[in-house]
This record gives sequence, C-alpha cells and structure tokens, in this order.
Amino acid sequence: MKKPLRLVGEICFYLVIFAILFVYLFPLLWQLSTSLKTMDEVFRGFSLIPKTPLWENYTTALRDFNVGRFLLNTILVAGLITLGQVISCSMAGYAFAKLRFPGRDFIFFLYLGTMMIPATVTLIPSYVIILELGWIDSLQGLIVPFVFGNAFGTFLIRQFLQGVPRDLEEAAEIDGAGYFVIWSRIMIPMAKPALATLAVMTLVSQWNSLVWPLIVTQADKWKVLSVGLAAFRLFRTIQWNTMMAAVVMATLPMIIILFLAQRFFIQGIQFSGLNR
Amino acid sequence: MARKMSPKRKREAVAGYLFITPNLLGFLIFQLVPIVVAILLAFTEWDLINDPIWVGFANYRNLLKEPVFHLSVKKTLYFVVINVPVQSMLALLIAILLNRSIRFQNLIRTLFIVPWVSMAVAVGLTWTWIYNSQFGLLNEILTRVGLDKIPWLAHPDWALISVIVVNIWQFLGFHIIVFLAGLQMIPREVEEAAIVDGATPLTRFFKVTLPLISPVLFYDLIVNVIGTFQAFDLPYAMTGGGPGNATRVYNLYLYQKGFQFLRMGEASAMAVMLFIIIGITTAFFFRVVGRRVNYDLT
Repeated sequence: MKKPLRLVGEICFYLVIFAILFVYLFPLLWQLSTSLKTMDEVFRGFSLIPKTPLWENYTTALRDFNVGRFLLNTILVAGLITLGQVISCSMAGYAFAKLRFPGRDFIFFLYLGTMMIPATVTLIPSYVIILELGWIDSLQGLIVPFVFGNAFGTFLIRQFLQGVPRDLEEAAEIDGAGYFVIWSRIMIPMAKPALATLAVMTLVSQWNSLVWPLIVTQADKWKVLSVGLAAFRLFRTIQWNTMMAAVVMATLPMIIILFLAQRFFIQGIQFSGLNR
Repeated sequence: MARKMSPKRKREAVAGYLFITPNLLGFLIFQLVPIVVAILLAFTEWDLINDPIWVGFANYRNLLKEPVFHLSVKKTLYFVVINVPVQSMLALLIAILLNRSIRFQNLIRTLFIVPWVSMAVAVGLTWTWIYNSQFGLLNEILTRVGLDKIPWLAHPDWALISVIVVNIWQFLGFHIIVFLAGLQMIPREVEEAAIVDGATPLTRFFKVTLPLISPVLFYDLIVNVIGTFQAFDLPYAMTGGGPGNATRVYNLYLYQKGFQFLRMGEASAMAVMLFIIIGITTAFFFRVVGRRVNYDLT
C-alpha cells in the first residue's frame, strides 16, 4: 500500500514544480506569443497560441527598425570582449597563481579592493577617456574598456589554477618548456572549465549590458540591441508584435547558450554568489 | 626586494609582469585611474565643454539640499527594502523545495535562470506590455475576474512596486542557485538525525536548516543589497524614471545628471556617495548580522 501512495506524492510534487515554472516563465511565453500575432490579434485575442504565426514581424523588426544592425553590433561587441577577457584573464590568472614576482600580492590586493566599488564610479572618467580619444560612436569605444579583462575574471582563473598541482609545471620545465608554453599547453587546457565559466558569464553580461553602450553611442549605426530596444519605449504608437519580435531576438541567443552550457552558468553563479 | 635574484627567478619575474601586462593596463586605465579621477571630479563643476572649476564640497552640499536627490535616495531604499527580503526568502523557499534527489534537477534549475540570462531591457519591455493599462495581460485578467483595472506603470503609486516585482522575478533564479549550493553543503546525516528525533518540518527548518545555511544566506543578502542599490536597466527601460519621479532610482538620476544635464561634477559626487552608502550598509551588515552567523560550515 505504501508504494502507490508515494508515487502519487511524487507526481504531485512534480506537478507543483512544473506549475510554478509555468507561471514563472509565462511572461516569456507571452512575449514569444505576441511576437507571432497580428496587431488585430494582439489587441483582441488573449490566447497563448497565435492563430497563424506571423513571421513577418521578425523581418519587419530586422529591416524597418534597424534590429539587424543592432544585432550585428551586439554579436561583435559581446563576442570580441569575451574573447579578449578569456585570453587576458587566463594570462593574468596564471601569473597571479603560479609565478613569483615583486609586487604580485599587492597588485592582486588592489584588484580585489576595487571589486566592491560600484561600476558607476568609473563611468564618467572612462567616458571622458573615450571622448578624448574620439571614440564616441565607434566599435573601439564599445569594446576597449572591457576587452582587457576585469578583476572578477582574473580572480576566478587564479583561484582555479591555484588548485593545479605543481608537478605538471615542473615536469614541463625539466623538458625545457618556457612560461609561454606552460601557459598555452598546460594551464589553458587545465583551466578549461573555469575559462568556459568566465566566457559564458562575460558573454551574457556584455550581451545584456546597457549603461556603457548607452553613453558612448548616439548614431543608430553603432547602437547595440539593449540601447536600440530601450528607445522603443519612446515611440508614440507602439507596435507590440514587432517590438516583441525584436525582444525575442535579443533574449533567445543567450537562452540557447544557457541550455548548451548549463553547468558553466551554475558554476559562475555559485562563484559570484558564494566566493566573495 | 633588495636581495639579488637568481637568473631563473629574474626570468620568472619578467614572465610574470609580461603575463599580467594586458590585464593590468586595462585595470589601470579603466578602473584605478577612473576611481581616482571620479573622486577629484566630485570636487569640481564641469559641463564637459568648459574647463572644470574647483568648488570644494559644494557638490555634496548642494546634493544634500536637493529635493530630487532625497527622493531618489528614498526610492532606492524602498527598492532595496522590498526587493532584497522578498527575493531572497522566496529563493530560499524554492531552493528548499528543490533540494532533494529529484529527476530533472538540471532542467528545473536551468529553467529558473532563464529570466536572469535575458536582457533586462528586453524583459522590461515585455513586462511593459503585460502591464499595459489598456490592453495588457494583467488588466485583462483582472477584468475577467470582475476587478478594476490597475494603472501599473502609469500611476506614481503603482509604478515603483511594479518595477520591483519585475526585478524580483528576473533575479530570483540567481539566488535559488546560490541557496541550492549552500543547502547541498549541509550533511545528510544532520537532517536525518533531526527526522529521527521527531522534529516537525518547521522546527527542522528553524533549528537545523536555517542555522546551517546562515553564512550563505548572509552573503547572498549582502550581494543582493549591493546589486539592488545599483538598479538601473529595468527602471530605465520600463519607465525612464517616471511617472513624475516615481521610479527615479539613484543610478538613473546619476545618469541623467551626468549625461542629460551634463553636470559631471555633481554626478561624480553622487557616484562617490553611492560607494559610501554601499560601504556603510555592508559594514553595518557585518557588525549587526554577521556576528550571529554560524561559521562552522563552509
């Protein structure tokens, strides 16, 4: 008699969890649904499934609302920053974890010390630097301040590499390997999980970032998705279906990456939430 | 450092400096120098066009006298005070619910962080549509069950709480993951011993789970407070600070001061003050709450 009762309990448990999830994710389902409706249906029909999916909303957003350009800029900016951060942080993380040089601990302490300072503090001076360089409305202006990496990434890679046993390096050193070879042939392969974590965390935060691109771009040509989409709110008559199509194109890529790299996202969250 | 280094040590040191060079350059130019410059700029009046004028503490004095500044501080505190406890408690509750050997554990965890990886601007616009007074989903539901429509983002009394709800919703998953990691560090035997002793689920929560998870809870609350003080994207995308000043949170006002009114000095002073406010709050947390935290674990 005990077993069927437990089974019923278990089924109820899953029903509750998935009911919570359905409600929790409903706003995103509604966004997807609106993006495929006609304007007529948007205002009248309150069904989740559109009668006939109107894919034109997506082409309209891409063509008439410049979303294509914004998307391209976002891919370039977020992609290049991520690449730069992974390289730069893996180099610095290796040096801070494994190499001895005067001032190492002091510099690392400075890194940690600035991690708690709110990003807005550096906003205005960084803007002035970009302004003086004449990099307003340029790809450099969007990328350069972040491409060299940051304290969080360096910290993450350093923590990970500190756990790598010394004998590996020593064996390589005996074989005559230089520091560059040790970094590229031993440290990078060893640090792959940490690098993947850094890559997905950077990619998502850069893809979604708003404040910096907002202040260094004015022309549509250089706007990224977040800045381009934020301007939608100011339109007098809003085409909700086209807007939601643009919104789906802004969110879906990161959701797909989340599902492809779940493990690394979880690790990244645990690191930023627990290891401070 | 006066000690002479062996050639091998010297090579190692040179390699060390070379490896950190790109990272350190970025750090110096876009982190350390800007921090110092921001502190200095806060003592000036500057519109980006004319030369900055040294004004001493005038920016701070003026800000402290300015009604809109007070308002933005009040709105931000309200944001923090509602958002942090509700979000963290809700997340802890869901994490406890999920903390057992269940099927689809990975899928469920991942689904909960979908809003967190979604662009805040995009999420904000989605909710603007759901909140729409005339045609939005929420008011449609209210009408169907016979209730009056609510002017969610259109009325000063409702706008801020409506934005906070979205903020709670968007970052809930992040905190669930943090708590799940914390819960998984609690040894199984401790929980089982409590069950054997006949503790009810409620006593078990207050006497076993809560004390053991308190360090994680403590850190989560700090991370949450620091993050919430800096809220910007959602209010910017959903309301732009309005209606009136209803959602003009601190960072939104700072942005407008700097980049719309071109008052770089005052905006820098605001940034420095935000840092001080966050510092004081964190220190307060450590002194008042930190003492009661059980550090035996982790």
